[in-house]
Amino acid sequence: MRSRITRHLGSVLAERVAVGPSAAEETIEPAVPPLELSGRDYAIFLLRLAAEVEHGLMVQYLFAAYSLGAPDAPEDRQADVRAWQETILGIAKEEMGHLVTVENLLTALTAPLNFNREEFPHTTPLYPFGFKLQPASLDSLATYICAESPEEWEVPEDEEQDIKNRADVAAGAPVNRVGLLYAELMRVLSDETTISPDDFNDASRAFQASWHEWGRGYRQGQRGREAMSSLPDLPAPELLIIEVGTRAQALNAIAQVGEQGEGLEPGTENESHFQRFLAIYRGMNELGDHVGVRRLATNPTTDLEGPDIGEPEDPNTTTPIVHEEAKLWAHLFNVRYRKLLVNLSHAFELSDDPSDRATLTPRGALIHRTFSEMYNLRAIAGLLVERPVNSGDPDGPRAGPPFQIPHTLMLPQDEGGRWRMHRDILDAAAIVIERLTSEGSADGQDYLAALGQADETERGQIELLIAGSALTPSPNGAPPA
Amino acid sequence: MIQELRILPPLAIARFGAAPTPMDNYDAVVDPQRPLGYRDLVPAETFEVDAQSGEIVGTFVPPRVTFTEDGNVRPVAPFLEVWALTDGGELELLTTGLLEDEGASSSDLQWRVQVANLKVFRRTSIEADKVSADTGDFSGHGRRTLRGTCPNFLPGKTIPFGHVQYIKPTDDHPGIRLRFTPAGGFVYGASRTLAPQAPLDRNVVDAVYDARPGRGTWLGYSDEDPGRPTTVPGGIYAQDPPASGISSGYLDDGCDGVVRLTLTVGGRELSAFGRVGAGPPTYAPDAVPIRTVADELEQALFGPSNKPDEATLERVEEIVRRAFETIRLMNTPAMNEQGNGMAGHDNGARRRFEPIMARSLVDEVALENLHESLLVALRSGTAPWFADVLRDYDEIGDLSDRGRRKMPALMRGADGRHLTLTRRQIDLIRTLARGPIFADENDTP
Repeated sequence: MRSRITRHLGSVLAERVAVGPSAAEETIEPAVPPLELSGRDYAIFLLRLAAEVEHGLMVQYLFAAYSLGAPDAPEDRQADVRAWQETILGIAKEEMGHLVTVENLLTALTAPLNFNREEFPHTTPLYPFGFKLQPASLDSLATYICAESPEEWEVPEDEEQDIKNRADVAAGAPVNRVGLLYAELMRVLSDETTISPDDFNDASRAFQASWHEWGRGYRQGQRGREAMSSLPDLPAPELLIIEVGTRAQALNAIAQVGEQGEGLEPGTENESHFQRFLAIYRGMNELGDHVGVRRLATNPTTDLEGPDIGEPEDPNTTTPIVHEEAKLWAHLFNVRYRKLLVNLSHAFELSDDPSDRATLTPRGALIHRTFSEMYNLRAIAGLLVERPVNSGDPDGPRAGPPFQIPHTLMLPQDEGGRWRMHRDILDAAAIVIERLTSEGSADGQDYLAALGQADETERGQIELLIAGSALTPSPNGAPPA
Repeated sequence: MIQELRILPPLAIARFGAAPTPMDNYDAVVDPQRPLGYRDLVPAETFEVDAQSGEIVGTFVPPRVTFTEDGNVRPVAPFLEVWALTDGGELELLTTGLLEDEGASSSDLQWRVQVANLKVFRRTSIEADKVSADTGDFSGHGRRTLRGTCPNFLPGKTIPFGHVQYIKPTDDHPGIRLRFTPAGGFVYGASRTLAPQAPLDRNVVDAVYDARPGRGTWLGYSDEDPGRPTTVPGGIYAQDPPASGISSGYLDDGCDGVVRLTLTVGGRELSAFGRVGAGPPTYAPDAVPIRTVADELEQALFGPSNKPDEATLERVEEIVRRAFETIRLMNTPAMNEQGNGMAGHDNGARRRFEPIMARSLVDEVALENLHESLLVALRSGTAPWFADVLRDYDEIGDLSDRGRRKMPALMRGADGRHLTLTRRQIDLIRTLARGPIFADENDTP
């Protein structure tokens, strides 16, 4: 069965995407929404897809970054591998900025947000390539380069062709540019006959993410420098978190997000994702494919009976994590990943109105908690990549972070229900932590003790919020739960 | 043979207390199973000193740590030990046995303690405002009162700075020690008349400073008068009216100074010195501030860089723990605003007022939780990822958004600018940040 995305895109894909990048770039006709969708609806549809793409790219890049750092690189090149790792982590952070900016755009259009995505491996025709979790390699890097590329590459022709050929073979199909999706968005949002000025809700900015809250100093080369010091030409990450209240701001946001991927503006060439991945590709090409890269199982999953199980290093199939302890860590990873996404989406439900000094909301706490879960994902990923995916093959591929999507990311309608959801997630985490504490190896116990204590503290705070929310009427006027 | 003498620790900091019994020893210990909690205060072995004889008459471990006695704070009264550098290059505690080997005895040691409180002098630059105490040479074991005298005090008035006592060695405790017991932590006032007028200012226990015409100028002094060598930050003295810049004429019984020791053996004179100081009690004994004098001393001793084998995650963890312990004691929303907050200080430094952080982010509980989560993740073995956000020593005056949001944030250093960690602390975190983000794969269980 075709996905909902494919069904709706059927009428436009053939002419704008499936025929390839060049044709799409040349398309200048007014936006024609697919049947069943209004113009505004089409913009929302594309933005929700963009959120999914940015989310998917972010996760894949994180996985690739975590795979770097195997000790087989020559000693004098290990700092370079570390710099590549930090660069890819930086790009992943920038993708998070893109995701948040896209959610801001959805908020500005008073549209439902989207923090969801499909499980890996997965593809749709508007994805730049079939998304999969795999270690960094020349193949995967070539795919990322093509996905983030501008239409015109300013690199030697032979090299361009080599990379494109490699990417097409690795992806199993021609790799689309992410820029196509943003070009289509730009076209739709520019069209005043499709989207009226009233469709942009300036007051929604109080609910949107701001750089001041989410930026954490990732601007003007301020962060990421230390670990990248061996390769000073690689730029530090630059988080784009753009608030949107008007059409002009929406177009600016989309232009900036697209620019960060492709680097079309003069003087920004070295800062684009395209150029950064290209620099790493060239470095790895010189060092040797897979050197300095951990052997991680592709698309690791806690689902032992999935339909698409294959060889542990086949990027097109999933790898069940059957090592008992690694599987528990993977479950804990998934719970924390869910917690991160719920924190993030919940933060968008609470306003931050600078002119209202009297109303305090837990928005800031949710933002901090979102970052805390990023730290936890990094920590658990570090423990996972040291454990075999299969206890029967202790020297075989390692288990990587599974990034499995939870059964739901829908938030309950009222605050009490939302905080109960947070409590449920903490309770689920506590069960896994308890299992790991009693069944796991010594490595990781210090972390579990600290995590368990932090969760216990947070649970106490959430109980207070649940109690407090019982005093506030729910938005639909129903009696408090 | 004794080659040299040392007084250890070379710097001892006492803490005020008006109770007669000094504080017992305790350790502030992190529970490994609850690493985010408050440090446990674990009673430790403590000397019991007989006030009359000066002997250590026993040791004990108190059943619990108690900071007050009959409503008064118990002073922290440190011991200064004498150590000898002997022929083998080893440092060992100087004992009566070691002295006997040299043909000497404990009564051959000569002590002298000189302390002062120069807080008023620091502002007025008038020599006659120095308050000082000198025990003169002594070898006996009775208590030696440190009586602070000052040319600008009223006749017969002094400020007691506490006392010192040369601990009398015994067979059970033959080591050579001196104990410094600080003052009670009282405030003293000034008077414009020879006989202070009752009732006294309710904050002071006695009026000691002579503020009569032609005498001391501390009462009524102002940092804002022309030509004053003001300090940064300025105006940190009691003022009347409040915030007027006009001094209330207060003094306290804090002091610091030098302990000197001489010993003549075999025609050779050996000497050593140490430093003592007294400050307020610790009201958060289960927390350690993010930057302390100990960090300064460590940097002075070992330099601003860490050797590779000194850079450990445990040390980074301790810095992070101290960060959230510090936040626990802060009113972070207030520090983000006008008034006495850091944003207010920046405003005073002619920066347009703005909160430093987004107001939604500065709730102290949320910030404490955030910093705790740093420690949680570090305990997995991952390298610190926050090196770039640390404020460098030469960025303390950067009042841009970027500069003010660096860490540690919302805190003031001793110079009135934004606080920074020591270069050695920063180097530790950066050294590890440059390394692998995960533990070595070879360590796989």
